[in-house]
Amino acid sequence: MKAKKALSLLMTAVLAATMLTGCGGGRGTEEASQTATDTTADVEKTAEAGNAETAEAEDAAGTSSTGGGIVGVALPWLGTQNWAEAEVMFKEQLEAAGYEAIIQAADQKVPQQQQQIESMIENGAQVIVVGPVDGSQLGSVLEKAKDAGVYIIGYDRLLENTTGVDGVVQFGSVKTGELQAQALLQGLEELKGSAPYNIELFGGGPADPNAPNFFTGAMSVLQPLIDDGTLVVVSGQTDFTQCATVDWDNSKAQSRMDAILAGNYSDIEIDGVLSPNDGIARAIITSCENAGQPIPVVSGLDAENESVEWVWSGRQYSTVAKPTNALVAETVSIIGSLLSGNGMPATDVKVNNGVIDVPIYELPPVVVTKDNAKEVFADDPDRMALLTD
Amino acid sequence: MSDGYILQMKNITKTFPGVKALSDVTLEVSEASIHAICGENGAGKSTLMKVLSGVYPYGSYDGEIVFQGKKMTFKNIKDSERAGIVIIHQELTMIPELSVTENIFMGNEIVEKGLINWEKERKRTRELLEKVGLHIAPNTIIKNLGVGQQQLVEIAKALSKNVKVLILDEPTSSLNESDSKNLLRLMLGLKKQGITCIMISHKLNEIAAVSDYVTVIRDGKTVDGYAVEAGRVDENKIIKAMVGREIENRYPEHTPKIGEVILEVSDWNVEDAKVPGKMLCKNSAFYVRAGEIVGFAGLMGAGRTELMRSLFGKNMGIFRGGKIKIEGREVQINSVREAIKNKIAYVPEDRKGLGLNLLDTIRKTVVSANLNVIKTKGLLDFDKERAASEKYKASLRIKCRDVGVGVNTLSGGNQQKVVLSKWMFTEPDILILDEPTRGIDVGAKYEIYKLIHELADEGKAIILVSSELPELLGMADRIYTIFEGKITGEIPTKEANQEMLMQKMTITA
Amino acid sequence: MKYIKKVLGEDLRQYTMVVALAALIIIFNIASGGKMITSSNFQNLISGNAYVLVLALGMLMVIVIGQIDLSVGSVAGFASMVMAITARQFNLPWYVAILIALVIGMIAGAWQGFFLSRLGIPGFITTLGGMMIFRGGVIWISNSISVPVPSELKWFGAGYLPEWGPAFTGMNNSTLLLGIIAIAVYVIAQMRKFTHSGDVTGKKEAFWPFAVRIGIVAAVIGYATWLFGSGRPGTSFPIPGLILVILIILYYLITERTSFGRHVYAVGGNKSAAELSGVNVKRTYFLTMLNMSVLAAVAGILFVGRSTAAGPADGTSWEMDAIASVFIGGAAVSGGVGTVIATMVGGLVMAVLNNGLMLMGVGADKTQVIKGFVLLAAVAFDVYNKKNRG
Repeated sequence: MKAKKALSLLMTAVLAATMLTGCGGGRGTEEASQTATDTTADVEKTAEAGNAETAEAEDAAGTSSTGGGIVGVALPWLGTQNWAEAEVMFKEQLEAAGYEAIIQAADQKVPQQQQQIESMIENGAQVIVVGPVDGSQLGSVLEKAKDAGVYIIGYDRLLENTTGVDGVVQFGSVKTGELQAQALLQGLEELKGSAPYNIELFGGGPADPNAPNFFTGAMSVLQPLIDDGTLVVVSGQTDFTQCATVDWDNSKAQSRMDAILAGNYSDIEIDGVLSPNDGIARAIITSCENAGQPIPVVSGLDAENESVEWVWSGRQYSTVAKPTNALVAETVSIIGSLLSGNGMPATDVKVNNGVIDVPIYELPPVVVTKDNAKEVFADDPDRMALLTD
Repeated sequence: MSDGYILQMKNITKTFPGVKALSDVTLEVSEASIHAICGENGAGKSTLMKVLSGVYPYGSYDGEIVFQGKKMTFKNIKDSERAGIVIIHQELTMIPELSVTENIFMGNEIVEKGLINWEKERKRTRELLEKVGLHIAPNTIIKNLGVGQQQLVEIAKALSKNVKVLILDEPTSSLNESDSKNLLRLMLGLKKQGITCIMISHKLNEIAAVSDYVTVIRDGKTVDGYAVEAGRVDENKIIKAMVGREIENRYPEHTPKIGEVILEVSDWNVEDAKVPGKMLCKNSAFYVRAGEIVGFAGLMGAGRTELMRSLFGKNMGIFRGGKIKIEGREVQINSVREAIKNKIAYVPEDRKGLGLNLLDTIRKTVVSANLNVIKTKGLLDFDKERAASEKYKASLRIKCRDVGVGVNTLSGGNQQKVVLSKWMFTEPDILILDEPTRGIDVGAKYEIYKLIHELADEGKAIILVSSELPELLGMADRIYTIFEGKITGEIPTKEANQEMLMQKMTITA
Repeated sequence: MKYIKKVLGEDLRQYTMVVALAALIIIFNIASGGKMITSSNFQNLISGNAYVLVLALGMLMVIVIGQIDLSVGSVAGFASMVMAITARQFNLPWYVAILIALVIGMIAGAWQGFFLSRLGIPGFITTLGGMMIFRGGVIWISNSISVPVPSELKWFGAGYLPEWGPAFTGMNNSTLLLGIIAIAVYVIAQMRKFTHSGDVTGKKEAFWPFAVRIGIVAAVIGYATWLFGSGRPGTSFPIPGLILVILIILYYLITERTSFGRHVYAVGGNKSAAELSGVNVKRTYFLTMLNMSVLAAVAGILFVGRSTAAGPADGTSWEMDAIASVFIGGAAVSGGVGTVIATMVGGLVMAVLNNGLMLMGVGADKTQVIKGFVLLAAVAFDVYNKKNRG
């Protein structure tokens, strides 16, 4: 009982002390939030102006060394060729530029990626490059990074629904779609005689913000020709939701193609198919072959090894290369600009991510057909090796 | 052969960390005899048999085993079986979903060119079943057999291994009277064929009936040995040797103080949930008065347990009509909870399977059927819980280090006392005890009998279900007999004897 | 040894995992050059794993009752996706959104509870079905696209306690106050236990073990308070952590001090015996499954709060983390055994491993391998211990 009394006395004392000293403010929040907003303001300014002085922001981020610095790279997984390449290239290029690189892949799991980004902050990263598993689910973690004074660069995919992003480096996804459609048209004219052409449309995985953009870009080229009758979508499925391929799953695309061929092409031939990537392109071609159709003109994306071979042998008409090398190089150059105090480079393109307008650094992708394959892959010995006669 | 003994276990000592389970035990078994071993639970009988069968391998005990004149060093059960020593455990080890043939040859399949020769196995099975006097098809699925038949299959399995010494651990504990007799007869038959049997048993009448020699073990030591002559043993002498003291009366003296009728059941009908049309209880009617101990006698499967469990909140079978009156008022009891509310308690026959949660401590078990009593402000109060369990620990003399220990650490008798405490804690008026002394040693039995008397003297109505007729004759004031779901007789104990009861338990009145 | 037992109780084995947890934290702190034991990392650790620990609370009861729930991840994802979609569609305030998620959890739990308790279909099958149904449901209603949730929910998943009061404490005063309250509650409970210690046995216990216990606990809570409270201004003990602590206390009371909790253990230990002791087995099954799905919805809310959006893959394989936490905490596959506190320790062991390996830059692949080994080792150790005891 005695102890209880003593305790309640202690409690009262503590509470009384708090009351006396007043309830306003708390510890250093005002200053802290002041600096925080300063930093943010600076970042925004530099992002817009491109060349403003950012020494203050640098101090907030805790950098004192000249040159060097710690860069975190959070990748969604290493399960496809382009991400596996990205991991190697980031490591090589960041270390070549004199930075310490922390590269982690999240096995396609959002919580894993959230914690990896947090651990990068803990490890003192000054810039974190994020190839998100899901671009809209990193909100609070990225804002935490921003509060800690870290720059966030989105890689290949948009970071949505957060203020914690300084810029995004990606291949123009609408542009990619346009190129795919143009390649399709070029192939049709080259191989399938005169109009009208029978075509079908495929989209990518709806969870990937790029997928609708690809489709939009492609349709901006194709829609006028569908309207004037040059192109005929025999199945009548022209909506993105109808054409989408959940999870970019090749087998789902193949089943859909099987169904379309069985239902609409019993007595006519298919001339061309818009495909959002190489895996789906190959699934489509396989489906047509199985159905006894002549191989249609099919577009693609990613320049996967197998599709490069198919393009070279003429089974797949085209693919679009998004050279990982170029994307990584662009990202590393932005990091260089940030860490040497020059802020984000200037850019005209901005996209609203649901909360703020995010500066976008777009690279143009390259269409690859049999005719130009050797030129495009001139610097890529791995893929050059596939182009044998 | 040394001195006509097929098996000698000499000066066996086995210690577990902190406990000496066997010290200097010697057992000598003559060829082609039936040798009984008896002793209280925990005396070391099972440990001795585990040493013999190689469960405790050679080297983990001191002393030696001489079998057919040779020193044996069994590393495991396979070794001892190869030598011809097979043990049949109290809990049967058949796989219920497989056939008799598959079970008999389990681990010993007749394999030719990598495939099982079913024809041969079945033929052999038929021969073996013939030997044990079981007339069933070799393809019968084990779960469709009764316990007694399963036991015979176990023995057939042992015979398939060319057994020389067959050890039976409490072979009749789960059998009814006729199955027990059948089994004992079979043992005598095996003896004629030259097979030696070692039987662990509590039942002195069975020992007297078949065995040639009795060894009594107490506290890990051999205390005494008696030759059985002409089917007679001095029961009191054996009991004295087992418990280390003379028990004048196996049942304590008691003068009943019988009051008004508390429980009255009429026209009680229950149908078997698994076998449509089969009635477990047929128009059963009986009553119990305050302070009275009413016995229920019936063979296994006669419907005793089924009747009690259906009364206890319709816990078994499908209810097909009937009335329960408590103190003259008709009551509806549709769940165990309502039964408890109506002050009925039921101590099940299967202590480990139905009476206890073996993961629980004593204190949690004691209060488990009446948690509301130990609540303070809606939360369980551990102080009240401890107080309750300490009370029963003292009054029932439950032997344990602390009421916080697990019930799995207790002996059978003490476990049963914990189960009784649990139901006494619900303060019942009607206490149904289903085989309350099964598998409990003599000393603990006596204590439980005294407790039953005390409860009766408090004015509770007690129903005592038992397979052991002497127990009913010694304890009950009035006995009902049950046969095939029907109550076939009601006899005041004073006028009853075993023969009379047995008659009513085997014939429809 | 005798003195240690006086302080910690007879069964020292239950502290094995606590010791392992402390050892892990210290080892990682050394290996990562002091990055483990920092305010911000501990804040991360708690807010990044609160959802798994919340799931583990419910999973503990499911496993104790002798069942398993494979659907919790899918239910969490489904509840939070329905919440996100309806909230956006009808522009609902955040509290209505939360209510919707909880109701969805309740319906999902009632669904599973119905099949288990009324139809007697084993929980493994029931929830395997639920796992597919609700996962499919998430993808279906979302069209595989993430949906942002009301911004207020961020407070639940990644928020901090308010700053107030004097600055001289050098800490977040909300955290400080919580720490003081926690210590006070513990001291009062111990003192009460001491004064009542002789009531039943008649023998009053010595005071010093109580004093030592109070000292140790006060030091641990005090240190934790300082650790969480002294981070960057604006940060504190995280809100999801606070929610978790409240739930831990609640579920500790439910499992240890209520009839329902006792019934869960009774059914898991011996269903038939429980039934014959007057336990309503069906009701106990039903409520346990219902509770699990409601907690899954809570976990979903915490997670989308942190993510700021509900995604189609939310909850994928969360059930595995929850189940692993429970088993590392010493629960038995056959049911009847397991405690809330041990489960939380088990969950933290997994969380610290994950966090520590990440700090050291070990990839997700290897982390997974290591976690698998730890799970096996922990359970094997437990089984070994039990064997030696019996």
